Amino acid sequence: MNGLMLVARREISTQIRTKAFLISLAITAVLVGALAFAPKFFDGPDEYTLGTVNSQQLPLEAAAPDAKFEWRSFPDEQAATKAVLDGDVEAVLVDGTKVITDGEIDSQLGVLMQSIHRETKLGAAGVRVEPLQMESVGADTRYEAARTGIAVVLVLVLFMLIIGQVMMVAMGVVEEKGSRIVEILLSAVRPWQLLGGKIIGLGVLGLINLATILVVGLGASFASGFAADFPPGMVGIVAGVLLWFILGYAFFATLAAALSSLVSRQEEVGNVMSPLTMLIMASYFVAFYATNDPTGTVATIVSFIPPFSSMVMPVRMAATEVPMWQVGISVGLMALAVAGTLAFGAKVYERAVLRTGARVKLGEVLRAR
Amino acid sequence: MLEISELRKRFAGGPDSPEGKLALDGISFAVRPGEMFGFVGANGAGKTTTMRIVMGVLKADSGSVSWQGRPLTYTDRQKFGYMPEERGLYQKMRAGEQIEYFGRLHGLSQSAAKQAADDLLQRLGLTERRNSSVESLSLGNQQRVQLAVALVHEPEVLILDEPFSGLDPIAVDALATVLQERCRGGVPVIFSSHQLELVERLCDSVGIVSAGRMVASGTVEDLRAAESRTLRVVVREALPGWADGLPGEVSVTGDRHVLLTTHGDDQEILRRAVKAGRVEHFGVQQPSLTEIFKEAVA
Repeated sequence: MNGLMLVARREISTQIRTKAFLISLAITAVLVGALAFAPKFFDGPDEYTLGTVNSQQLPLEAAAPDAKFEWRSFPDEQAATKAVLDGDVEAVLVDGTKVITDGEIDSQLGVLMQSIHRETKLGAAGVRVEPLQMESVGADTRYEAARTGIAVVLVLVLFMLIIGQVMMVAMGVVEEKGSRIVEILLSAVRPWQLLGGKIIGLGVLGLINLATILVVGLGASFASGFAADFPPGMVGIVAGVLLWFILGYAFFATLAAALSSLVSRQEEVGNVMSPLTMLIMASYFVAFYATNDPTGTVATIVSFIPPFSSMVMPVRMAATEVPMWQVGISVGLMALAVAGTLAFGAKVYERAVLRTGARVKLGEVLRAR
Repeated sequence: MLEISELRKRFAGGPDSPEGKLALDGISFAVRPGEMFGFVGANGAGKTTTMRIVMGVLKADSGSVSWQGRPLTYTDRQKFGYMPEERGLYQKMRAGEQIEYFGRLHGLSQSAAKQAADDLLQRLGLTERRNSSVESLSLGNQQRVQLAVALVHEPEVLILDEPFSGLDPIAVDALATVLQERCRGGVPVIFSSHQLELVERLCDSVGIVSAGRMVASGTVEDLRAAESRTLRVVVREALPGWADGLPGEVSVTGDRHVLLTTHGDDQEILRRAVKAGRVEHFGVQQPSLTEIFKEAVA
């Protein structure tokens, strides 16, 4: 156990001091922070500049409380037409009977003006129309946009972090094998300690990255006011992300260590790792698809199948409400898969890591005593 | 005592040699506590393979390694110090931290590891390089760090594969002194080397391997005794024919008569030489380890 922790600590302390780690951490933090402010810039409330000629302003605010309306009054239709053509105003109500615009009117604005006009006229004639009561019998969709946004960011973050840390594990294993330092290391510690320590150490670094992203992201969301759109159960979503990162990383990192222990040179890492990187990419694509259709059959089924579940389930959890029993089963299956991978990976690593030189065949390793 | 007995190892063959290569063909030897054992042999003779098997990096096909009368275990090996033939260090790690790290992996406490690293750095003349990354060091200095890594945990046994190769004479002396100290402290030391004069100077006993077999082993004195000794006599101002009837060959340069012989009664030869002229030299020529080695592997 002591050896395991020493190996893990070395991984952390060497990486954390490198400029590359600190710079990439700073860049991610800035990007995530900026992202939380983005909705404010792109998604501001609707604003309309309207005009009147010899008319009363329509009480549009009452019907559309989220939009802003600015009214100008013009002395005659000629002045109003000029303003419309110059683009100073979008629409001008003339004599309380017609609306002039430059081309087709914004459909929302058109409908709004028509209905408010009708209502005021009817009101003036003493007819009161009760507004329609709106009632949703489906799922709560108030937070749909925010949920999708969070899920999209999440899947990207999980993908980048997992593939980044997994490649670090692979490079580290080959560094030790290629330089033969592994021969001295294995005279002091057991193969599982060396392997486990490396995976834990780089995993902790991944968690530090993830925690930074979460803290900065949440902090910036509160600062920008985006947090007001957060769906209920945000704590659960965050906890879920951490758990799923650990599970997914453990699965992929162990396989990465096993595969990379077959080769002795850094140049060969990409090659030997390609099936695994493809698997991670596939998980990413499925998860990205799930952000669009989190309640669909494909997303639901795949969110139970390891290792895809490690990216798809957290996306579903963010994008929609997932029953607890589904999360439980999915976590259980993934944990089983991780245990299996650990057993398999440790065996391959132990048998292959001292066999330097030409690439070792996986089948040969598995057949050996 | 570290005992290596009847080690055999065949490496899997490629398509050219389905038989594979026989690396070790029943190698046996023993090293006592406090003994420095020099392991010599041509390239590919089996020295590295033997050391790798002792350190558990390779598995022997048959044969055994025992330590203090019991089969060698993983826990025993943790107390060994090992310097592999192909040097390996973390290139980006600082020299001092690297030595400390290995000390800790071998079970030293943080303070003990730091102390041991500082001591070794000082002994090997690397104190100023403590905080340099290994990749920034010269090859000779990297090798010193490598050695410090093998020594940091006060190992009970030292297995060093070519520890002297690539070192300058001053570094060789520093390393030799450190090894001799450890050896006097009761540690069995095995090292391989192609620098035979060095082996001759440092080692209590020597093993000569050839083609996976131990062709000669014992103290340097024993090996010499087994070799034929040559008596060399130099006489000046002697008359020609003074050595008639004596065994061996006489060569004459000016008034210098040199007699070389491998047999005969040395006392009789001395008497004849004294009578013949002025004896300038009378002595047995010791074969060097190089000569013994060449003879043994021939």
